[in-house]
Order: sequence, then structure tokens, then C-alpha cells
Amino acid sequence: MDYKIRAARKEDCKDIARMIMELAVFEKMPDQVKISYKELERDGFCQNPFFECLIAEVSDAHRSKCGHTVVGYALYFYTYSTWKGRTVYLEDLYVMPEFRGNGIGKSLMSKVAKIAAEKQCVRLQLSVLDWNSPARDFYAAKGAQDLTDSEGWHFIRFDGLSLDNLVKEAPQD
Amino acid sequence: MEFTIRAANVDDCKDIARMITELAEYEKAIDQVRITQRDLEQDGFSKNPFFHGIIAEVPEPHKTKEGHAKVGYALYYFSYCSYRGRAVFMEDLYVMPEFRGKGIGKALMSKVAQLGLAAGCQQLNFTVLDWNKSSLDFYLNQGCTDTTAEMGYHYMCCKGEALEHLAHGQL
Repeated sequence: MDYKIRAARKEDCKDIARMIMELAVFEKMPDQVKISYKELERDGFCQNPFFECLIAEVSDAHRSKCGHTVVGYALYFYTYSTWKGRTVYLEDLYVMPEFRGNGIGKSLMSKVAKIAAEKQCVRLQLSVLDWNSPARDFYAAKGAQDLTDSEGWHFIRFDGLSLDNLVKEAPQD
Repeated sequence: MEFTIRAANVDDCKDIARMITELAEYEKAIDQVRITQRDLEQDGFSKNPFFHGIIAEVPEPHKTKEGHAKVGYALYYFSYCSYRGRAVFMEDLYVMPEFRGKGIGKALMSKVAQLGLAAGCQQLNFTVLDWNKSSLDFYLNQGCTDTTAEMGYHYMCCKGEALEHLAHGQL
């Protein structure tokens, strides 16, 4: 299936908000979502944005059952390790269920890693719920190290060789 | 003991690097430290900084034996929770051992909370090593919630009323 990975625009915030809620439902915490597309517009597209976002988009011919062409996103921001230096934190990675298995999640993640490498980030970190086996397997397959075993969340890091390999898989612009 | 809390500037990077090393030694991870004073200068004090810092400083009569007046720091950055919006992450909080017990750590942490609230943040998050009981107790006593029980690190979140109290506790 053809798809495109691109930087999110302000106009995408309604779709991003939709998908954030879909992810929250999956993570069994929809009541925890307190922000709407308006906060995303304000916080992601101001002079000093709090986050950056990539979108996965399909053509009209492949629209979802509900008519969406924006079918996945990766939301991330830059952080800092006082031991290692610049890092990037992948806050959300999500692909609508009907579009999974097409490499979209991998492409989104790789693109984030590529952007991070361009900014000389030495780590890509994220967290995952321990019962979320498909997600844990997905990240483990990419050489992620599980740094934390917890009652719900795992802190994950990419660095060195696993990060380089992830960058190599980034889709061409 | 008198002390001041102020925003870090580029000239503080030498002392911040020194204290990062001290903190890493305490956390038994000195071999993991890769960044230098120069990295801090570039990454914290350029056009799009990766972090912000605040410093705790004591006056002349209270300097350390080695002559240090900068005795504590907190390093933080803004993050984002896709469910709740703007957040602040406190990456490091450190006070030199001989200056502990004087409210400096709490003042630094409160200042971070205050700066976070002023920037519209809904959470103050950080992590702590599970064997670091004195730090864990220090944080839990501020009304924080331990949202993650882990092998080594605990993911901490200060929000709502606890965050308000922390920010208003600022000296």
C-alpha cells in the first residue's frame, strides 16, 4: 500500500486529536485525555513548539472505512540526558488498526530516528505498557533495550548500533 | 543558611559539569557520563536550547573548602503528554552533600514547578533510582505520585494540587 510520511501541519491537528483518542481507548485510559486539537495547534505550531509530529497519509483510493486519509502519527520532542547529551523522546506512535502490517509504524519510527540523528541526538527513548505485547515485540525487534520493568510502563532506549540501523530504514524524502 | 536560586547562564556550565559528575558518582554511574562543559554550553545556551538550568548559590562566607559558591542545580526541559498537554521534566536535581538539609533541594524543585506552571505545564515529571531511598522519601514527602514501580527507576509525576503546593512553596 502506498503511503507518505510527512511533517504534520496545523490543519492536521483534528486528525491527530482523533488518533490520540483512539490510542487512549486502546490503552484503556480514554478518560485521561484532557486536551483537544486546539491545544495541539497552540503547542505544536507556535514559535517554540513543545512537540513535533509526523503524519502517515494514504491516497484517496485507500481511505479508511470512515473516510480518513491520515492514518498514523508519531509525536515526539527533544530531551536531554546529562550523561549522554541530546536525546529524542517518542511520546506516541500509532497506526490505525486497518492500516497495520504495511510498514507504516516502522517508517514513522525510522523517520523520527533520522530526524533525531540530524540533530545529533544519541538516544531515542519511549515507554510502553507491559501488557502491550505487540508493541513490546515491535520495539524489541528493532534492538530496543528495555531499561525498566514496571507495573505498567517500560522505559525504552535506542542508541549505538540499533539506532544507526533504524536510521538506515527511514523512507526516502 | 542564605542561598539564592537563579537561572543558569553559560558561565555556569563548568560548575554544572562538575556537579553532574558528582551526581553520577553518587548514582554509581560515573563511567556513563559522556558530555562535557562544551556540550552543555552548546546545548543549553544556543537559540533552541535542549534544556534549561537553575543554580543554587551561596555567599562568600559559605563557599566550600575548594572555593565553590555554586552548590546545587536543577536541569529541566519542556515535554508533552498527548493526553494532558504541556509538561516539564526535571532531568537532574542535585545539592552538594555538605549543603543538604537546608531547603536548597526543595527550593530548586519548587522553582522548576513554578517555571513549569508559568509556562502552562500540567505536570512535573522525573525519575529516581529505586535504591535511592533518601531521594524517594524527599520526593514522596512533596505529595508526588509514584506512577511506575521499576527495576531501577521510578517515573514520578507531580500534578494538580501537589504541583500547586510545590510551586507556591517557592522561597
